[in-house]
Order: sequence, then structure tokens, then C-alpha cells
Amino acid sequence: MSTKLLRLAVPVLAAGLLASACSSGASGTKTDSAPAAAGTTVVRVGSLSNGAATEADITVAQQDALRAELPAAIRSGGTLKVAVGALPAGFPPLAFVGSDQKTLTGSEPDLARLVAAVLGLKPTFDNATWDNMFVGIDSGKDAVGFANITDTEQRKQKYDFASYREDNLGFETLKSSTWSFTGDYHALAGKTVAVASGTNQEKILLEWQSKLRTEGKDITIKYYPDSNAVLLALTSGKIDIYLGPNPGVAYQVTQTSKSPNPTRIAGEYSGAGETLQGLIGATTKKDSGLAKPIADAVNYLIQNGDYGKWLAAWNLSTEAVKTSQVNPPGLPASNS
Amino acid sequence: MSTSAEPAEAIGITESPHRDLAAQRVIPLRHPGRWIATAVVVVLAAQFVHGLATNPFYQWGRFGYWFARPVILRGLWVTLEVTALSAVLGLLGGVVLALARLSHNPVLRTVSWVYIWLFRSVPLIVVLLILFNFSALYRTLSLGVPFGPSFFRFDENKLATELVVATIGLSLNEAAYAAEVVRGGILSVGRGQREASAALGLPRWYQFRRIVLPQALRAIVPAYVNQLIGLIKGTSLVFYVSLLDLFGQVQTMSSTYPGDVVPLLLVATAWYVILTSLVSLAQYWIERRLRAGERG
Amino acid sequence: MSTLAAAVEVRGASKWFGAHKVLDEVDLTVCPGHVTVIIGPSGAGKSTLLRAINHLEKLDAGRVTVNGVLIGVREHGTRLKELSERAILAQRAEIGFVFQAFNLFPHLTVLENVAAAPVATGRATKTEARERALELLAQVGLAEKAEAYPGQLSGGQQQRVAIARALALRPGVVLFDEPTSALDPELVGEVLAAIRALAGGGTTLVIVTHEIGFAREAADRVVFMDAGRIVEEGPPGEVLDRPRHPRTREFLSKVL
Repeated sequence: MSTKLLRLAVPVLAAGLLASACSSGASGTKTDSAPAAAGTTVVRVGSLSNGAATEADITVAQQDALRAELPAAIRSGGTLKVAVGALPAGFPPLAFVGSDQKTLTGSEPDLARLVAAVLGLKPTFDNATWDNMFVGIDSGKDAVGFANITDTEQRKQKYDFASYREDNLGFETLKSSTWSFTGDYHALAGKTVAVASGTNQEKILLEWQSKLRTEGKDITIKYYPDSNAVLLALTSGKIDIYLGPNPGVAYQVTQTSKSPNPTRIAGEYSGAGETLQGLIGATTKKDSGLAKPIADAVNYLIQNGDYGKWLAAWNLSTEAVKTSQVNPPGLPASNS
Repeated sequence: MSTSAEPAEAIGITESPHRDLAAQRVIPLRHPGRWIATAVVVVLAAQFVHGLATNPFYQWGRFGYWFARPVILRGLWVTLEVTALSAVLGLLGGVVLALARLSHNPVLRTVSWVYIWLFRSVPLIVVLLILFNFSALYRTLSLGVPFGPSFFRFDENKLATELVVATIGLSLNEAAYAAEVVRGGILSVGRGQREASAALGLPRWYQFRRIVLPQALRAIVPAYVNQLIGLIKGTSLVFYVSLLDLFGQVQTMSSTYPGDVVPLLLVATAWYVILTSLVSLAQYWIERRLRAGERG
Repeated sequence: MSTLAAAVEVRGASKWFGAHKVLDEVDLTVCPGHVTVIIGPSGAGKSTLLRAINHLEKLDAGRVTVNGVLIGVREHGTRLKELSERAILAQRAEIGFVFQAFNLFPHLTVLENVAAAPVATGRATKTEARERALELLAQVGLAEKAEAYPGQLSGGQQQRVAIARALALRPGVVLFDEPTSALDPELVGEVLAAIRALAGGGTTLVIVTHEIGFAREAADRVVFMDAGRIVEEGPPGEVLDRPRHPRTREFLSKVL
């Protein structure tokens, strides 16, 4: 598309282009943003959520002051290329293929759409595997990742973060299990627990494990590639408990309620842990200059209440942050 | 034919009266073990099928819902598309590699050998990941004189759609295996066939096309079909290049519908069984046609 | 006899397999229309010599001419240069070859085996080649097997088909490399009969065989080879019945 044309007609086009966003990822791009008054975009959040969200329309006005902060190449390109690492298995309700069985939806892509609207950009989505998402950002194929990526010190060596959400953790067991968690890690002694590797919940679990070992007890920790495999392990009795992000656990509990092996939430724990502060952030290539405008856009959405509407639509209000920060302190680089 | 030189007397035939011998019926050896084994297997199989049909764990109702859903058929189509393209391109590449490997040119022979060695050593998944990340290594592909000026430049990201990347990855891998299959097939044609062709003065291309290839195919087809079945299942790795084949769609849908993980896996299983059965059927048919002319 | 009139002429043919010299400066002259039988112990170089005549085996030194034409090479100053494969293939059409192991094409019918070469080399149309093939098959007594596949025939029948195939291009010279050695004894006669029928028909035949009786009866000339050399040659009455050389006598005393 021509830069000149864009410059002449940005307010109108920004909205118009959103409506005709072209598909690029395997799962395509959601096009639920309707043209509205010049310079504003109506972003529909929570659609096709398979029961995880309540649909809502949020009208966003483009903020030219924030748009001015964008790196020139992105501003003139007019597109915000968003990487999502939800292949092959998604992680509902955060990022997943929706109930039409083809469209990428979830809280994370929705926030990306809101941020893009604030910045007057057209969002496109590349859905890839978790690892390829980072390669996409590294290679410049994608500008930013919105995919429940935790801000860690190690990642900050290569990426800039604009934080936008907190983590809460949930314990999932079979409904038939009587185990429950009330805040004391001793309840986990002798149990087999699944956790995703490289996450803050893993770090918490490992801390508990080493504490239990000093008391002569233990936790058996198992790793699985995705939530499907975890669920199969849970239903077949290979593991007793799954510790994961609470939204995902809650979604699985709702979805399996009518299946032969329903699950339940057996307890919650703060993703911040005892000593750790886990934050989810939009992830950009280091020094690309994109983290600050995104953080400012999120802060704009927080201040005008749209951020709250977005979280409420996805039933994630307990995970709200007060402000978005660029590169806040994250999980320490090593586990030792 | 004249190796048993012992006369009849020596092995004692004359010891019994002749008419008794003629009247004696030979009772075949009984195999009670076979009957017991049969009974055990039949009971176990019946139990398994009964369990499969009645255990609510399998959720056959949901299986029916998913079996022909558009999302599954889209994945199936991708599987078929990638398999078909890679099978053809892989075979073509394999023929070229095999001929290079069998040629008298030491450079061609070595290059072919190295290629086959490399791609048989590297796991397919690594090939796919490297290809997918190609854009991180080389941002553009250019067309032009090697080491010289380039005429066209492609932005790799636009050039390589997921389907293209997946097909190239699988074809590169497939060609290495196909080369060995084709080479084995060509070598299975006896030296005498080539000598007879040469002695008759048959033109070289005619020798290859009408004498060597048809006979080589008899060895190539069964081996390549096995390879093809592996390829069908190998396509389940293409989600690594963001392409959702049958199994990729099943995984995606499993995460959106966690209650249906098991029926979705069964749907994938059923489709893979159907696909490989169709391929085996085609193999049977082709082999029967190629066997025409062998000792009846 | 005159050199120009020779159908096959071998001069100074030498060939090494590694350190072993299988042909040692062999000279051989075969007259047109004659039947020449080459005998000798295993490893004497008989087959190698025969295969050198149609360039299935490359000579390290020496030359072969068939009907006056240099085979497989051309003169380049004082040296010989190997011809292109295409040119050699064209020359071979003039020279029929019958193998010990028949080497029929198993995926083609008997008729297709015989008719393939004239069509493939552009010497006949499909119809002409079929008619000629049927004639030749009738000649070797296998007209009714035209549509059979080689695998359905006995060894003797297969070798007779191979003979018909070798004749399909109307070659001036036909070479037989131990044509009956792979056959059961009761099948040898039919193949020898087919070869005998060719003799005297104007075609030059060179036959490597262990069938001394056949040589005595059908050969115009018998050549005895040993250790890569031609030890003795002459009419069968001389070589087989009154051998001059002790090695010939020794060989004949073993096989007769």
C-alpha cells in the first residue's frame, strides 16, 4: 500500500483497512472491527469464545500523540504485525481458535486489536508454535507478541516488554478427587503434579519441592507439551494435579463439565507467589522502540476504562494491573 | 535328482506287506496349541471391541460430531495436499539423486551421497524448523548469477507460504529416502538386462525407460508406498511451520474443546487409518499390474 | 584367405583384469558365412574375446573389425579412440549376441522381446517388426508362444527366443556365448538344432561352447584357446581329431 495515500487519508483508512484485514496466519485474522466515526474503531472483544467470554463492543479513538511515538517504519507501514504462539494447541481463553473452528480469538489478540486501534494501526496476526513466535519477533516478521508471555529477566536480554496483566494460578484435579489446596504447600507432598516448563508456576512449584525435600517429602513433577496432553494425563490418572494459569484451568473445568471425566478447581494461588512478581507483557524485539508506545496505549486504555471492559469481557478482572510498565522487574534469570 | 542313491531295500520298504501300506491312512498331526491360541485371541479381541463400543470414555457421539466437521476436513485436505505434492516432488528428486548416485561422475556421486546422508541423518522436524526460520537467517532470496549480480529479489516472508515451506521441507526429506528406494530398484535389475539391451543396440533412453525402469518399478513401488505411508503421518509435523494438517486441527480443537480430547484423537486415528488403507489398496492394484508377465 | 573378405577380424587383442592378462595379443579371422567354434578350458578368455567383438568388453590394446568396420573405436592419428556410446550402440545392431543366461526382458512378451530392437533403433515400423518377429519365432519353432512371457517358457524355449531376438536386426554376424551351458541336458538339443539351422544360411556365426560333438558336426573351423591365447585352430577334423598341441590334447582328453 502506498505511504502517500495513507498519509493523506489516515483517519478514514485506518478504520477501513481494519475491516478488510487480510489473513496471514494459519488461523486467519479476526475482522470484527467495524468502521465507525473518522479516527475511531469499534473493536468487538470476547467473540467466538466458546462460552469463555461475554461479547462487548469497545469504541476506541485513535490517539495521534501516541501514534507519534511509534517507530517511523511501523507508523508509515500502517500495520501492527502481531505474533501469537498458540499452535497447534491454543490456550483458551487467552489465545485459541474460536467456536467457529477457524478464527483466532482470545483475550490476548483482543488486547492487541485494542492497542492497534489506539495507535491507528491495522493489526494482522501470525499464529505459530510457541518457539516460532519468538523467532518471528527476532526476524522482524512480526513486530510484537501478545500471547500470555511472562516477563522474565532472561527474556529481557533479547526483548522489551510492555506489561499488561497479572497471573493467577489454579490447581486442577479430576472432579472425583477430594484433594484441595488452601494455601499450604504441604498438601502437595507425595503428589504427581504437571506444570508447563519455563513458567513462573514451575518456579513456584520447584521452590515448594525443594522445601518439601528438606522435610523428607517430595513432589513428582511432570511436563507435557500442551494442555491437551495434560488433560489426558489427568483423566488417565498419570498425574494428580495440574498447576496452570487460572483462566486456562477455569476454561477446562467449564468445558469438561459434561464429558465423562469432568475436572474441578481444587484451589488457587497468586501468580505473584511468595517472592515473585509474575507479569504478562507485550513482547517486542529489544530496542525496537515499540514497547513504549504500546505501554502508553495500554495505559490510555486503563485510564479511559476500556482495559477494564476488556478484562471483564473475558472474566479476567482479578488479573488487572494498575499501570503498564516498560520492562518491569521480571522473574530472575536462573532457577538456582 | 540322483542324490539319494540308496536303493529302496536299504530304507526298509520291503519289510511291510505291500497291500497294508496302500490301505494305511495318514493322520495329519494335530495342533491343539493353535486352537487354544485362537480361542484366547478371539476372546481378547471381542473384549476389546466391546470395550471400545461401550466405554463412555470414547464419547462416540462426539466422534460422530467431529468426524466430518469442516475444520477436520480442512485439515484433512492440507494433509492430502502436502502428502501428494511431497510424494511427487520427493520421487522426482529421488530419481535425480539416484541417477547421480549411480553415475560415473565422481562429483555427482559425492554430492548425491552427501545429500542423502545429510537428510537421512537430520530429523524432519529439524528440517522444518530450519526452513521456517529461514527468514531469520536469510531475509531475501535472490535470483541471478551465482555469487554475481541478482536480477530479482524476493522477500522470503512473502515468497514462502506455510504450504510451500512444508512441502519443500517434506520433499527435501522424502527425496533422500526415495533416492535409496529408486537406487535399490535400479540395482535390482540384473546386469544381464543392461547387457542384452546394449547388445541389441537399444538407444540409451529407450533402455532406461522401457527395459530398466519397468523392472525397477517392481522393487520401487512397494518400498515407495511404505515410504508414502510414513509421509502421510510425517505431515502431522507441519504445524511447526504454522500449517494445520489433520492432526494440527485436532490439537487446536482439543484445546478449544477440552472435553472432546479423546473423541478428537479417535477422529484423527480413523482418518489416518482410512488414508493408509486407501494407499495400501492402490499399492495392491499397482503391484498386480506390474506383475503382469511374471510366472503365472 | 584375404583380410578384406573377413567377416570378423581381431588383431593383437589384449585385455587385463587387474594384474591378470585374460587376452594376450589374440589374432582371429572369421570368414563370411562360416561357423567358428571356440573351445577351451574355463578362464581361457573365450567369452572375453567374444564379448570384445561387439565391444561389451573394452580391449586395452588391439582392434576388432566386423565386415571391415572398426568396432568401438576410431583411428586418431596412430592411436585408437573410443567411440561415443551412441555410435557403439549403432554398430551393435550389425552384430547379434546370444547370452548364456538368455537375458530375455521378463516384462515383455516373447513377440515384444523379438520386435523391440528393430522398432527402437528405427529400422522397422511396428508392423514390419511384428511380422519379422513372427517369422523368426516360426523358424525357431515357437510361433505359438508369441504372446507368452519369458517366465512361462522352459530354458530351451527361452534360448530359442533369444536367438530369434538376436536375428531380428538381420545382423551379418551372430555371437553365441555358451548358449547351452545354463540348460538342463535334455534341453540342449533343441537349442543346438536352432543354431545348426542358421549355419549355412549365409550368416557368420561365432560360438563359444563346451559341446565338442556339436563343434565336430557343425563347425567350419574350431579355435582352441588357453590362458588368453589361441593355441591352435583349424578344421574340426584336424583340431579335434588330430590335435598338434599337447595342451589341446590334454583338454580334449578331459572333455571327451
